[in-house]
Amino acid sequence: MFITINNRQIEVQTGETILQVCRRENIFIPTFCYHEAFGGQGACRMCMVEVKENGRNKNRLVAACTYPVTATIEVFTESDRVQQVRRTLVMLLKRRAAQDPYIEELAHKYEAPLLPKLKVDPQGCILCRLCILACEKMGKSAIWTVLRGIDKRIATPYDEETDECMGCKACAEICPTQAITFLEDGEKRSIWNKTFTLVSCERCGKPYATREQLEYMREQTGYETAQICEPCRKKTLASQVEKYQN
Amino acid sequence: MSKVLFVEPEKCTGCRTCELICSFTHVGEFNPLRSRVSVVSFEKTGFSFPAVCQQCSVAACMQVCPVGAITKDQLTGAMKVNDKTCLRCKMCTIACPFGATFYDGEHDAIIKCDLCDGDPECVKFCPSGAISYREAYTANRSKRKATAAKFQEVFEEGR
Ligand code: SF4
Ligand code: FES
Repeated sequence: MFITINNRQIEVQTGETILQVCRRENIFIPTFCYHEAFGGQGACRMCMVEVKENGRNKNRLVAACTYPVTATIEVFTESDRVQQVRRTLVMLLKRRAAQDPYIEELAHKYEAPLLPKLKVDPQGCILCRLCILACEKMGKSAIWTVLRGIDKRIATPYDEETDECMGCKACAEICPTQAITFLEDGEKRSIWNKTFTLVSCERCGKPYATREQLEYMREQTGYETAQICEPCRKKTLASQVEKYQN
Repeated sequence: MSKVLFVEPEKCTGCRTCELICSFTHVGEFNPLRSRVSVVSFEKTGFSFPAVCQQCSVAACMQVCPVGAITKDQLTGAMKVNDKTCLRCKMCTIACPFGATFYDGEHDAIIKCDLCDGDPECVKFCPSGAISYREAYTANRSKRKATAAKFQEVFEEGR
C-alpha cells in the first residue's frame, strides 16, 4: 500500500505507525515518550502530524507514534497547524525542563515563546512515562505517577523506599531529560529514596553492582554467579585457562 | 552448523593487534578500550589470552535482557544487541560470565563481539594464528573436546 507524506509517495505495510514509516524514511518527527522497546504511548503529543483521510473533509491532527496506517492517507509533518501545536507543546515543556538541550533546540526551531516559571519545580520531568515503562520491563514496577493535574509526578508509593527497586538505574538511563537523580559514591548508590550498599568484586575489591541486581541475575539465569566485576572476569577466565594448560 | 571463534592461547604473543583492528573495524579508531576482544596478559608467566564472547548457546546476556534486545543472528550465530530497543540497563554486562559484553560510555551503547557478520577481522590480522574462525564441527575433534571440557570446568568454577 502507498501513502503520501509531505506529497511524497511511500510504500508502507498495513499496521505500521506513521512514526515508524517516517523514522525509516528519515522524515523528521520530534518525540519524547517514544522508545522502540515499548512502542508508541501517545503521552507527550510531540509527534503530532496532520492527516487527510479518505471521505473526511477536515484534516485531523494525530499522534504519529500511535496511528497505525490502515488506508491510503496523506500525511503532513510540518504544516502550519503541526508547527503551531509543536510550538505550544515546546513552550509548555520548556517550562518543565528549561535546561534540556533538545527542548531548547526545538524551542528555537519552532520559535516558542518563553513562559514565566512554574510555582512547583518539576525538576526537569516532562511526564513522558518512559521510566515507568522501563521499570515495568525490568519486572519491578517500583515507580508510578502520583497525584493529579499540575501536581502530577513520578514517585515510589508514598515517596518511601520500596522493596521493588533494585537500584539498576534503568529509569535514569532512559529519561530523555535526565530528570531522575541518583547518587553514587563508589560504595553506595542512592536512588528513589533508597540507599544500596554496592557488592564488591572478590578479585579487585571494586564495588560494582547492588545485591538486588545480582539477585535479579540469579532469578533470570537460574545460576549463581561469582561476585566478580566485569574486567576481572576476563582475568579470572584467563588465569583458569592458563592453569589448565599447564 | 555455525562457525565459532576458536582461541589457542598457547599461540598468542600478546601483541594486541586483534584489539586494534577490532576497534578500528567497529568504531573507526585504534582504541583497545573500545575493542570487542581484549587480551589478558600476565607479565609474570608471559601468558596471554584473547578474551572474546563465546556466543553461548544459552546466553546469560540474552536471558537477563528485559526487552529482548539481544538475539542470535540467524546467519552467523552471533549474539547481537539491538541498539534501538536496548534500555542501557547494563544487566547483560553484569551477567556475562566471561566479561565479554560491556558498555561503551562514549557511544552510549552495549558492545560485544558480533563476529563481524561472518568475516572476523581479528582472525585475519592475528599474526600468530591464535584466533581462528572454524566450523564448530570440523575443528579438530579431540582438541575441541579438550577445550570444551576446559571451558566447562572454568565456567563452572566461575559461577
Ligand atoms: S543493557 Fe540493553 S541489551 Fe543489555 S540487558 Fe539491558 S536492555 Fe538488554
Ligand atoms: S512520541 Fe508520540 S506522543 Fe510522545
